[in-house]
Amino acid sequence: MKEEGKIDSKKRQLLKAAAVGIGAGMVSFIAIERNKLMEVLRPVSLSEIIGFVEAEEGLNKYEKRAREREAEIKKMCRAEADKICLDKGEDSAECSEARNRCEKIVVKATPPKPGTRFVMALDINKCIGCRRCAYACVMENNTDRDIGIEWIHVLEVHRDDLELLNTNIDYGEEAPKKDYVYIPMACMHCDEPSCVYVCPVVATWKEDDGIVVVDYDRCIGCRYCITACPYGARRFNWKKPRVPVLELNPNMHILGNVLRYPHVVEKCIYCIQRTRDGGIPACVEVCPVGARSFGDINDPEGPIRRILEKYGAFVLRPETGNKPMFFYYFGPARTPPRSKEEG
Amino acid sequence: MDIKALIDTIKYILSSGLRGSKSYYLFLAGLTIMMIYGLYNWVFVQHAPIFLKSEYGGLVVTNLTDSVPWGIYIAFFIFWVGVAAAGIVFGIIAYVFNNESFKKVAVLGEVQAIAAIIIVLLLIIADMGQPLRALILMPQLPNLRSMLDWDFVVLTGYLLINIIGLLYTIHMYRQDKPLGKKFIIPFIIIAAPFAIGIHTVTAFISQALTARPIWHSPLLAPRYVATAFASGPALLLLVLLIAEKYMDRFKVDEDVYKKTMYVIVGSMIIGLYFSLSEAQELFWYTNEPWKKAQAELLYMGKGQPGYLVILFAGWIILGTISVLLALIPRYRNSYWGRVVIASLVIVAVVFEKTMTIIVPAFIPDPLGRYVVYYPSPIEYAITIGIHALGLIIYAVLAKASLLTIIKHYEK
Repeated sequence: MKEEGKIDSKKRQLLKAAAVGIGAGMVSFIAIERNKLMEVLRPVSLSEIIGFVEAEEGLNKYEKRAREREAEIKKMCRAEADKICLDKGEDSAECSEARNRCEKIVVKATPPKPGTRFVMALDINKCIGCRRCAYACVMENNTDRDIGIEWIHVLEVHRDDLELLNTNIDYGEEAPKKDYVYIPMACMHCDEPSCVYVCPVVATWKEDDGIVVVDYDRCIGCRYCITACPYGARRFNWKKPRVPVLELNPNMHILGNVLRYPHVVEKCIYCIQRTRDGGIPACVEVCPVGARSFGDINDPEGPIRRILEKYGAFVLRPETGNKPMFFYYFGPARTPPRSKEEG
Repeated sequence: MDIKALIDTIKYILSSGLRGSKSYYLFLAGLTIMMIYGLYNWVFVQHAPIFLKSEYGGLVVTNLTDSVPWGIYIAFFIFWVGVAAAGIVFGIIAYVFNNESFKKVAVLGEVQAIAAIIIVLLLIIADMGQPLRALILMPQLPNLRSMLDWDFVVLTGYLLINIIGLLYTIHMYRQDKPLGKKFIIPFIIIAAPFAIGIHTVTAFISQALTARPIWHSPLLAPRYVATAFASGPALLLLVLLIAEKYMDRFKVDEDVYKKTMYVIVGSMIIGLYFSLSEAQELFWYTNEPWKKAQAELLYMGKGQPGYLVILFAGWIILGTISVLLALIPRYRNSYWGRVVIASLVIVAVVFEKTMTIIVPAFIPDPLGRYVVYYPSPIEYAITIGIHALGLIIYAVLAKASLLTIIKHYEK
């Protein structure tokens, strides 16, 4: 009996070794085809596996939520307007303006147009660092006025250096300076957005038309995306945001400039409330020197294609692998002109 | 173990853990006051817009900004994850290497893990802008690419494993039965990878981010684990020394102290060595400007805040002193020598693992700004409150389990 037991255990060990060998062989077989291995190891999001759940709810989910938010904001706005009217008198200009804005409020949930891909390009030679784009952005997108959230930061960098470390954001009124360039930075709407990869609740994603959006009803305020963004594009509502009714932009989008909750993250959304209806972002519209161009990169006649073909372009921090969809280029002429001999 | 026995065990833990001398009650009362103050600050000040829908308050009362979005909460979160992970050391020595003298105190490692994980989870909740939303949404539709979700999974899993282990151990010891192999083998097989896993995944949260060059190195996770296995056992050693002094009839074998000291010293040496290796890459030889700027702030104190360089120097100096002291047998084997070495190790690892890991990654930020971060008084209050709660849990559970051990081994 004992002898048999011994043989048995040996057999068992042999079987075990064989099993381990087969397993190792399979692993190495997969490893030979590296792409296949990468496919296996690639982390997937649950929404990819059970995508149909989201699809069932589909678009009308946002449509419905937009209706609810619209009613909510209108109510809030009317209360504020009543306060102003009590204060300044029923027939003052402020009162009628506030009432007017409240009535105009509409929260849209316009879906992306198939086939479009929005891209922005910026001529660094033209930009004079006036920061009108940042101001227009605040006015357009209903950002909090108390802590002064600005989606666009304009960096003053020396022309010789162009290193994003030696920047100056608070350069005051004296711009443009000689030998300095001004680089406005906001969300780059990357093709491989690291902020989207790290969000633990899928509260931010890239839409089909290339806009990276944030769902303010889903964001849990962990600020992991702020940590992951190599462009410093994301802002956090550190308190309950306050927008004066007299400065309220009534044209809202549920994934864009709708009034935010406290403790949620927000960022540039290429003025989704304008661009999805065929308009251009506020920063492009306001730029006094025409440094910014915005359009559909799939449109062969559009301004973006023309710029890319004529001047070429570069992106900031390409080494992070985020593939930004915001191009910078050095255009043909500087504003203001360099010196006499160069014209 | 049925429901009745479970309730009975919990009742026993509470009744024996909360019984004690007058000074013990004073100790608990002091901690409770701190805890309530922290809780008040959290609910009524920092998270007032969420819980009370108020106009005032919000995370704006902290000194966190868009440039430095993570601060003292996440810093201590990392430290306590390490302490929790190292609780498994006693279990491994006791049950994997079958060491009789460690079997006596192995349950203390579980107690430490439970207390530390509760601190960790509360710190995340305090840091999160919308904690209620997070608790509802995170389990519903997680993003499997996000390391934060995996961290949540391993942390709660490890907490659950340790709670089961503690309850079962106390339940069996009360009936004077030894722990069966049927329980111990699966327990260690599941708990040991989880213990390494919680700290590894915590490092994975930060080490894969190209946006933060100083974190962006595969050495971060090993360094976390290495120093965790110094600070965790050091805390256990201190607790054992205190328990031996203040609890009647509780005797720890010399072997436990000796082996724990070996673990601490070994881990400290590895941790210091990793720091050297990182400094070489981040500071001496890199030409990456952003990485270099962050490293210069940490190692040389170039720019503000200046406390980082002090903390980092403290880690190197105190760490080296503790290793040198522990190498001398006279100090290593004496009571006061052990107290000093363990305390030095804990302080050194707090210096290494809290602010010096989190803050330099944000200064300078992607736009080249140097935004200084000092924790605000409210942040301190909430952090201290959470630690007070953790200490209460630690004290109560440790007392209950040690009393059970004493009774079990006396017979």
